[in-house]
Amino acid sequence: MNYDRPYRGGGGRRRYRDREDYDTHDRRREYESPEQILKNNIIRLGEVDPVQEVPRLAKQLQEDATSMLPTISEGIRIAVTEQPYKIPFYAALLRLLHGPSSLGTDTSTAQPSSSVGKQVLEDFWKGFQGYLDKLSWRDVRLCIHFFAHLTVAQVISTESMAALLQSFAAVLDEFGVSYGRGKHAALCASEGLMIAGAVIQKSLSSNTAEIIAAIHGFNESMASSKNIVQPLTSLTSGSSTVDYADELLDSVIAVLKALEASEFADPPASFPQPYLEYEDLDPASSPPFELPSILVPPEVIELDGLPSDGGEDAQVKRDEWPEFWFRLFDNAVTPDPNTVSGFLIRSNLRDMIDIFEVNRKECARLLLEYPKWCVLGTFKPRAGGPAVEDDPSANNWQLESVIIEATLGYLFLLPEPDQKPVYFIALITELCKLSPSTVGPAVGKSIRRLYSCLAEGLDVEVARRFVEWFAVHMSNFGFQWVWKEWIPDLVLPENHPKRTFMRRAVESEIRLSYHERILKALPEAMQDDPNVIASQQPGPDPEYEEPSHPYHDAYHSILSLLRGRSRAEEVIAQLDTLKTTLDTSHTDMHVDSTIRSLAIQSLLSIGSRSFSHFLNAIERYLPLLRGLAVPTDLDAKRDILVATAAFWKRNKHMIGIVFDKLMQYQIVDPTDIVAWIFNDTPSGNDIARPVYIKAFEWELLKGALDKANGRVTIARKKVAALRKEQDDSIARAKASGGADVGNMEVDGEMKPLKQDESATENPQLTTALKAFTSLTREQRSVLAKTLEGFVSCLSPVPGDAHQNTHSKTVIEEHTWERRASWTNEEWMTWETWGWYRHFCRLYSPYLRNYSTTLSTVAFVKIEGFTTPTAQSIKKIWDIATGQEA
Amino acid sequence: MANVVQPLDQPSNYKDSQAKVDRKKQQDFLSKSSTLYIGNLSFYTTEEQIYELFSKCTSPEDGGGIKRIIMGLDRNTRTPCGFCFVEYYTHAEALACMKYISGTKLDERIIRCDLDLGYAEGRQFGRGKSGGQVRDEHRTDYDPGRGGWGAQAQLERRREFEERYADAQEGPGAVATGGGEWKATEVPTTTLKRARSPDDDGDISRLGHRSRLDDQERDGM
Repeated sequence: MNYDRPYRGGGGRRRYRDREDYDTHDRRREYESPEQILKNNIIRLGEVDPVQEVPRLAKQLQEDATSMLPTISEGIRIAVTEQPYKIPFYAALLRLLHGPSSLGTDTSTAQPSSSVGKQVLEDFWKGFQGYLDKLSWRDVRLCIHFFAHLTVAQVISTESMAALLQSFAAVLDEFGVSYGRGKHAALCASEGLMIAGAVIQKSLSSNTAEIIAAIHGFNESMASSKNIVQPLTSLTSGSSTVDYADELLDSVIAVLKALEASEFADPPASFPQPYLEYEDLDPASSPPFELPSILVPPEVIELDGLPSDGGEDAQVKRDEWPEFWFRLFDNAVTPDPNTVSGFLIRSNLRDMIDIFEVNRKECARLLLEYPKWCVLGTFKPRAGGPAVEDDPSANNWQLESVIIEATLGYLFLLPEPDQKPVYFIALITELCKLSPSTVGPAVGKSIRRLYSCLAEGLDVEVARRFVEWFAVHMSNFGFQWVWKEWIPDLVLPENHPKRTFMRRAVESEIRLSYHERILKALPEAMQDDPNVIASQQPGPDPEYEEPSHPYHDAYHSILSLLRGRSRAEEVIAQLDTLKTTLDTSHTDMHVDSTIRSLAIQSLLSIGSRSFSHFLNAIERYLPLLRGLAVPTDLDAKRDILVATAAFWKRNKHMIGIVFDKLMQYQIVDPTDIVAWIFNDTPSGNDIARPVYIKAFEWELLKGALDKANGRVTIARKKVAALRKEQDDSIARAKASGGADVGNMEVDGEMKPLKQDESATENPQLTTALKAFTSLTREQRSVLAKTLEGFVSCLSPVPGDAHQNTHSKTVIEEHTWERRASWTNEEWMTWETWGWYRHFCRLYSPYLRNYSTTLSTVAFVKIEGFTTPTAQSIKKIWDIATGQEA
Repeated sequence: MANVVQPLDQPSNYKDSQAKVDRKKQQDFLSKSSTLYIGNLSFYTTEEQIYELFSKCTSPEDGGGIKRIIMGLDRNTRTPCGFCFVEYYTHAEALACMKYISGTKLDERIIRCDLDLGYAEGRQFGRGKSGGQVRDEHRTDYDPGRGGWGAQAQLERRREFEERYADAQEGPGAVATGGGEWKATEVPTTTLKRARSPDDDGDISRLGHRSRLDDQERDGM
C-alpha cells in the first residue's frame, strides 16, 4: 500500500493520518495495467524459489507473447540490468522460451520458425544497442553477463558471443584510448569470458587467448599510474602492487590467466547454472540466436567551445584511475578477488551497491539476501538456517564480512569513489540495523584492521575517510567503541597516524555530538590526554577578552556598537577613530592589522552563538567587511584569516565554516586561503619553521579549491544555457523565414547571423563570458598557488622561508623501515607528502588542463634539480597529469 | 533505477497548509527545491551539529554547499522546538540528504528529512497552539530530547540553548541569505570607507530598520 510506505521513517504514520497537512489525495491505490502486472511478475521472479518459478513464468510468458512481446523484453531488460544476481535465472527463463513451446496445441505459434525466446532476444538486443550508444557501461556489462549465460545455455551461438567480446577487446587497441573507457571495455570482455569462457574455449580457443592478451597489454601500459592510487602509500618504491589491496585489472588478469592455464576447466563455482538441468536443445528445430555484430561507439567529447586561457580545453573528466580494492579479511573468510568466484561476487556486490544507491535500506536487505542467488555452500549458512551436510567443496565464506569488505573497499577507492562517502556510511548503518549480531562483529574487525594499517602507511585520504566513517558510524550506535584497547598507543608521538586517528575521530564525534558526551565515553587515560580530547568544550577565544590586554577597551567599544546593531557606517567611523588614536599613542607597528583583527574578532564574537548568528553578523556588516578586505591588499585578507583562526582556535570546525562563508560573500578569494595555509608571507614574529599540511589544513585547502572549481562549473553552465537560448532563438528566426527577424535586428534588414557576431549582441552572454574568463583565471591561480605551496614546503631551496630537513628522508626506503622511531616532525612531513599526492590525483582533471602553465610556474625554483625531493615531486606530478603513462 | 526498489528521494505527502500556491505548483517547486525540512531533532541539537552532518551531502565542486540553516523556534519562548530548514545551493544536494541522511541519527535521534518548498518568512516558528510544533501538542510519551527533560544532567547545555535564540527576529530580513552567487566586483578606491555597492542595498537598508536591542546583555562574551 502506497500509504504505508515502509521507508518513510518510524513512528509517524498513525500520527499523521488525520493531519490535514498530509495530503491524502495521492493515496489512491494506483491502478495497475496488465502490462505493469506482467512486468512486475518478471522482475519479481524467484521471490520464493527461483528454480520452481522459472518454468511457471515461462509458461505464462508463452501465453502472453503474442500480445505483449515488447513488455516481456522490457521486463527482462530491467530485471537483468537492475538485478544482476538473478541473471542466471533469467537465462534459464529465456532457454525455456527458446525451446519448443510447452503449450501443447499451438494455434498461436503460427510462425514456427521464430521461437518466443528469439523474438524476445531480438527486442532485447535493441535495448542493449541503446545502452551501447549511450556507453552506459554497467548496463552493457550486465547484458553481457546475460548473453554469456545464454551462450552456455545454447540459446546464443558461441561464435557470435565470441565476436561480441572481441569487439570490446578491440577498444583496448584504439589509439589513445582513455583509461576509463579501456577499463570498462576490459571488464565487459573479461566478465563475459569468466562466465562463457569454457564454451568459447572449446570451439574458438584462439579467440580467448587474443582477448586475454589485449587486456594484459592494456593493463601493462597503465602500470605507472597505479602507484599513486594505492591505499597504502609507497613513497619510496615505484611498485605497482601492494599488500592488503588488489587492483581491479590485475585481478582480471590473474583470473583469466588461471582460467587459460586450466583451459577453462573450472566452472564459476558460486553461480547457479539452472539451465544446465534442462534437456539439450535440438539445433535443427531451435537454432541458436546470432548476436548481430557491433562496434563500440567512440566517446562523445562535448565541446562547449569555451576557451580557457591559451586555448586549453577546460572540460573536466573523471574516472581515469586504476582501482585498488582494500582487503580486510583472509581468503578463508572472504573470497580472493583473484579467483573467478571472488571476482564475480565482488562485481555483483559493487553493482548492487551502485544500482540500489537510491534506497540504502533496500540495498542492505538485498545484500544480506545475496546468498540465496548463489550455489549452496558459497556462504556459511546462517545460524538457525537449514544445516548443510559437510561438503568439502563448500567455501563457507562469511557473508557479512564479504559485504563490509566490498562496501569499505568501494568507500576507500582513490582518488574518490563513484558515490558520496556518506552513502557507504549510511549503507553500513542499515546493514548493522538489519542484523546487528552478524554485521557488528565484521564492522569491529574492519575497524581494527584499518587501525593497524595506519602504522603501515595507510594513505592519508583513506585514513581521513576512515575517521569520517568511524565518527558517523559511532554517532548512529551510541558512541560505543572499546577505546581502551588503544590505550597502549598513547605512548606514540602525537602525530603518529594512530594518534592522529584517535584525535580526529574524537573531534569528529564531538562535532556530531557534544564534548561532555564524548568525554564520558572515553577511558580515563584518554580523558586526561589533551592530544586525544581537549579539556574543555570547543568555543570561541577572543584574544582581546583578557582584561589585561592592551586592546581590551578598544575591542569592547567595537563590540558594544555591534551588539547594539549600529549601522555599518558608524562602526567604520569608530574604527577610523581608533586607528587615529593607535597611530599616535601606540608603538604598534601594524596598526592596520590590529584594526582588522579587532573588527573581525568583534564580528565573530557577535556571530559566535550559532551559524545563523554568524551569517546575520556578516550580512549586516558587509560594507564593513568589504572595506577591511581590499581586494588588492593581500595582507588585509591574510589578517582577516589570521584573526578568524585565532578566534576559533579551540573549534577548528568553525574555522572551516567561516572561511567558506568569507569566500561565499567574496570577502576573501580562494587564493587568499591557499596563501594563508602555506603561509608564504610570514609576518614579523614567525620563525622559519617548516610548513606541514595535515588533514585539517587539507580540508581548508580542498574547501578553497572546490570553491574556485565550483564557480567555474556554474559559470560554464550559465554560458552554455545562454548560448543554447540564443541558438534556439536564431533557429526559430530562421525557421520563420526571417519574418520575425525584424524584431531581433536593430536595423530590420536581413543579414546572415554569424555565431560570434550574435554572441557579442547578447549583453547577458557577454557578462557571463566575462565572468567565466575571470573565474577560470582565479581557478588557475588557486591551483598554481597550491602547487607552488607544496613545492616550497616539500622541496625548499636554500633561502626559502620554511626549511624542512625531513622532507627528503621520509621518502627513503631505509628511513621508512625504521619509522617506529620517527618523531612528530617526520610524521607530519610524511603526511604532507601524502596530501601532495592526493592533491595531484584528485584534481588531476583540472591540473591536466593547465599542466604546462602550472608546472612552468611552480617548478621554476626546482628546475633541473636532481635532489630526491624534486624528482619525487615531479614524478607524482607527471603521473597525475598523464605525462608518464 | 526505480523499477525494483522505491527511491528514497521522493517528497512525502506533506502539504504546507499555509503555502499560497496550488498543489501542482508545489510539486513543481519540490522537484527543483534545494531546501529540506528536518524533523524530530532534539531541542538541544545545535546548528553546528546539523552543519557537520549535512555537509556530508554537499557538492562544492559543482558550486554547491550549505547556504544556510534556519532553526525552528518556539513562537513564544524563542527556543529551538525540534525542527529546522537546511538550504543548499543545489537540488542534487537536497536529494542526497533524502537518500543518505534521512532516517539516520543526529544527536542520538533518528531524524527525518523532507524536500521543502523553501523558507518563507515566519516559517521558522512552530505552528502549535503553545508555540512549538504541532506534533508536540499531541505527544503523550516522555521525550527527554524534546522538552520532557526533568532532572537531566545536561544543565549547562540546556541553559545555553534557552538563551541562544533570545534575539531571534521576525519580519523581513530576519534570516540571513547565506551568500549568493559569485559576482564580478569592481576594485574599490577607498580603504575602510568603501561606499555600499548597489548589490547590498536591499539587505542593508532592511537590516538598518531593525533596532531591537534585546540581545546585548545576554551575550556571554
